[in-house]
Amino acid sequence: MARIRLDHVTKKYGSITALKDVSIDVKDNEFYVIFGPAGAGKTSVLNLIAGISDPEEGDILFDDAYMNYVEPRERDVAMVFENYALYPHKTVYENIASSMRTKKYRQPEEVVDREVKRVAAMMNISELLERKPTQASNGQRQRIALGRALVRNPNVFLMDEPLAHLDAKLRNSMRKELKSMQEAFHTTTIYVTHDYTEAMSLGDRIAVIHEGSICQVGTGNEVYYLPETEFVAKLFGDCEINILKGCVTEEKGRTGIRLPYGEEVYPVPDDVGERLQCAGVKDVDIGFRGWAIDYSREPRKGYVRGKIYTHEPLGNKVELTVSLGDDMIRFIVHVDERFEIDEAIYLHFNMDKGIFFHSETKEYLVRHNEEVMRGGGKNG
Amino acid sequence: MANLKLQNLYKMYDQGNGKKDGVYAVNNLNLEIEDGTFLGILGPSGCGKSTTLRMIAGLEEITKGEIAIGDMVINDIHPKERKIGLAFEDYALYPPLSVYNNIAFCLKANKVDKKEIDQRVRKIAKTMKVEELLDAKVEGLSGGQKQRVNIARALVRNPRILLLDEPLSHLDGKMRQILRGEIKRLHKEIKCTTILVTHDQMEALSLADHIAIMKLGVLQQYGTPDEIYNDPVNIFVADFIGEPPMNLLPVTVQKADGGFCFLLLDGTRIKAPAKFHSILEDGQQYTMGIRPTSIVIADEKDYDAQFTVDVFENLGDERIISIRILEDFLTIVIEDMLVFQKGSRIYVKMKEDLLYLFDRETGERVREQGQRNGG
Amino acid sequence: MYQNKSRFAKVLGIASTVFLVIYTIFSVFPLIWMVIISFKSDVDMFKTLFIFKPTLDNFRNVLTTGNYVKAFGDNFIICSGAVLVSVIVGVPAAYALARYNFKRKETVAFTILSFKFAPEILIIIPLFAIFQKLHLYDTYFGMIWIYQFIGLPLLIWVLRGYFEDIPVEMERAAELDGYSWFEVFFKMLIPLIRPGLVAAALLTFIFCWNNFTFGLMLCGFNIQTITVSALTYIATDTIHYGQMAVASLIAIAPEIVLCLCIQKHLVRGLSFGAVKG
Repeated sequence: MARIRLDHVTKKYGSITALKDVSIDVKDNEFYVIFGPAGAGKTSVLNLIAGISDPEEGDILFDDAYMNYVEPRERDVAMVFENYALYPHKTVYENIASSMRTKKYRQPEEVVDREVKRVAAMMNISELLERKPTQASNGQRQRIALGRALVRNPNVFLMDEPLAHLDAKLRNSMRKELKSMQEAFHTTTIYVTHDYTEAMSLGDRIAVIHEGSICQVGTGNEVYYLPETEFVAKLFGDCEINILKGCVTEEKGRTGIRLPYGEEVYPVPDDVGERLQCAGVKDVDIGFRGWAIDYSREPRKGYVRGKIYTHEPLGNKVELTVSLGDDMIRFIVHVDERFEIDEAIYLHFNMDKGIFFHSETKEYLVRHNEEVMRGGGKNG
Repeated sequence: MANLKLQNLYKMYDQGNGKKDGVYAVNNLNLEIEDGTFLGILGPSGCGKSTTLRMIAGLEEITKGEIAIGDMVINDIHPKERKIGLAFEDYALYPPLSVYNNIAFCLKANKVDKKEIDQRVRKIAKTMKVEELLDAKVEGLSGGQKQRVNIARALVRNPRILLLDEPLSHLDGKMRQILRGEIKRLHKEIKCTTILVTHDQMEALSLADHIAIMKLGVLQQYGTPDEIYNDPVNIFVADFIGEPPMNLLPVTVQKADGGFCFLLLDGTRIKAPAKFHSILEDGQQYTMGIRPTSIVIADEKDYDAQFTVDVFENLGDERIISIRILEDFLTIVIEDMLVFQKGSRIYVKMKEDLLYLFDRETGERVREQGQRNGG
Repeated sequence: MYQNKSRFAKVLGIASTVFLVIYTIFSVFPLIWMVIISFKSDVDMFKTLFIFKPTLDNFRNVLTTGNYVKAFGDNFIICSGAVLVSVIVGVPAAYALARYNFKRKETVAFTILSFKFAPEILIIIPLFAIFQKLHLYDTYFGMIWIYQFIGLPLLIWVLRGYFEDIPVEMERAAELDGYSWFEVFFKMLIPLIRPGLVAAALLTFIFCWNNFTFGLMLCGFNIQTITVSALTYIATDTIHYGQMAVASLIAIAPEIVLCLCIQKHLVRGLSFGAVKG
């Protein structure tokens, strides 16, 4: 158990800079997710903490101990690798027991046996103990790899995309298993993933990383509802957020937004209007998530006309792509209605549900009801 | 143009020494596909979907049965003459040639007039949005562009039937989504009978007007996406379709005041919908199926079941509540912006018409009386 | 159309079987002939006979007179020594080539492999001079030293492939588990490359065992290799084909035994990587 800090860390591989001036502060016992697209530098962070590689600049601290250049085996960290990295020539039992049989972490054989069996029961792999990892399925291997890490009580668990190679169904259920086990870990955990559902589900906090820099650190609700940049907003959600160009207007003291699809002025809620006036911006980008767009099949006041580009029924919902001016708007409809390609449809943009960004810096400005959003909704 | 008909179709592979291996890769398949339909053949790997496609294309010998277009049986017609366009998942383009020549290749081989080739290639390139790429070499193209060229090449010979074998499985998320939309529009435009083979249920649901689900060579269900999703004929179909998957839980029927209830393995009671009352008896064993989205949050005044929340996940677009039933989870997906704590008590109602019962032994759907049979 | 195809396939099958039988006879015949003449007396030697009165004289001569038995022992010592040195040098070299990035890595790797390109005869004169000057001529040390070059390139290349197949994360995992680097190497890596190591070492042994040029030029008085020893049956007046055949037969015996014992290992070791699935 430890607090893990990276302080202004830079990591280069040859001429390529993998991490630029990265600072993170993971609290003791926290489940911390590092989330980002492929090649963002997620694994590099884990490698630095594990001691597999050393930073060019900056410090790594476990609690207050300075850890740069400390050998991996002296750091007392446990890691789950993306490709599991099991020892193929050893049985599952020996794999899980391996750390307790080294000079550094040696335990008496009774303890080894008890611990291996405890972890195997927890991961539901008790019947595999005598087999070799090559005889186990992908999902089982993943649980063996987790078991090998969980059997220890290290300073920190590092998990590098442990669910990435599982099929959708197994990934779903393993994600829940991990979540329900979380409390039993009693250790700081740093979890790397490129799947936003894993990040939002598991993370106490999420660090979004892109091209070697941290874009935002926050709870799942914060990164989803209050993203600091458009880039972060686009990474979360199944149906990518729609970004519309808007123009701020003022009439009789009320702030409104004009979209490029007509003369209609959409009123904004007061809290948003105030902030927009304070910032003094003229042009804004407004993000609407897939479930935040209203539609009608008949013309209505305040609705703009678009044309259905494609419609994709997915069981209990339909994903609609509508061409509106030069833009494609993609959103989700929750009804069993039938749609036809090229049919007319009318869209309404409720500014209560929009996320406002600066049109040049692409940085977050405001959204309605910030504090409610931060909490993720009302208690049920 | 006419309907495509598969009649009592069987396929058994040679073991290599002339002997058959005794397993039907395709087992008594009957399908009639109306002209202009978009058919999705869906199933896990090894279900015989690709074999079926290859038999239609003429790349695979037919062990038994008939494939006919209209009244003409095409079993013994050479693949070249079947007028079928085929696009494989891994593109299979000719790398040294330009995009133009790739598309024109089969026309040239058939000695079509030069002017006509040019006309047709340009027209199809426009449809598939690869006009600007015509002079480019294939190697430099992205995955999405390659697949467009690939489909263009299949379409240029004006096929009677277009066959697509996992056309999107090599593409990454965003590109896949875009091309999925393009294929949907393409089919509307050219109205050519199209058969899509895929293991991705999302792809089949979103593209096809009819879906055939196969398992181990046997057709499980044939119907519209709506029928497949809302009226599955057995556990396999119910489990295969839908994301997150349907909750499938073993239950025991128990008499309760004035009706019945389902007893879960951990003793939780769920009120049985009235529609089932006529077929239920005390002590019967079933597998109950209900989609995560068919369970709605209710209050303590009127509810079908009450649970304790084990895992609550806010995924932004939706929220997932998981309830542990011994080794398994019962999953509920809600749209409302509600937050639940682990350990809190929830009351739910089940959408009655979307609750299914399956036979514990055979996996077949158990229907309440008076309900339509089959999709 | 399909009927035609199957008839054609049948004809093709028969034709290829006939061809393969002829080819097999052609390639195995010299070996069979050698076995036959080893049992012939000098009188029958030049007659193309398959039925004759077999004799063990040749075997008796080879095993009791001359120094064939000593040559056999010498060969064994040299080859085992060479294999041992190859393994000790080759395993770390292969690991370094697989795991570390350094300047001109591929050049180094290719240079090692290119040792196998030049015919031995090309370097034998300078080697002879060097051996004379360094007093390595006709010594075990000198012979082992030169023989280990024969199999080393092969050993390094096979094992490099094995090391590359082991995910580097597995080593990292072991380190994080608390193993020192040496423990990782001996407890985790060596067991995984064992099939390749056995196969490559075995092939190295066979290559050394069969070598002729070095044995002919770089030793001969105190030490003699069996390939050279077989030559001694060419006397000034006559050639003792029968004894030569026996000498060759005994020489290939250990190889055959070794190969049969670990045949499975050999094929698997050279064709698959260390970690599958």
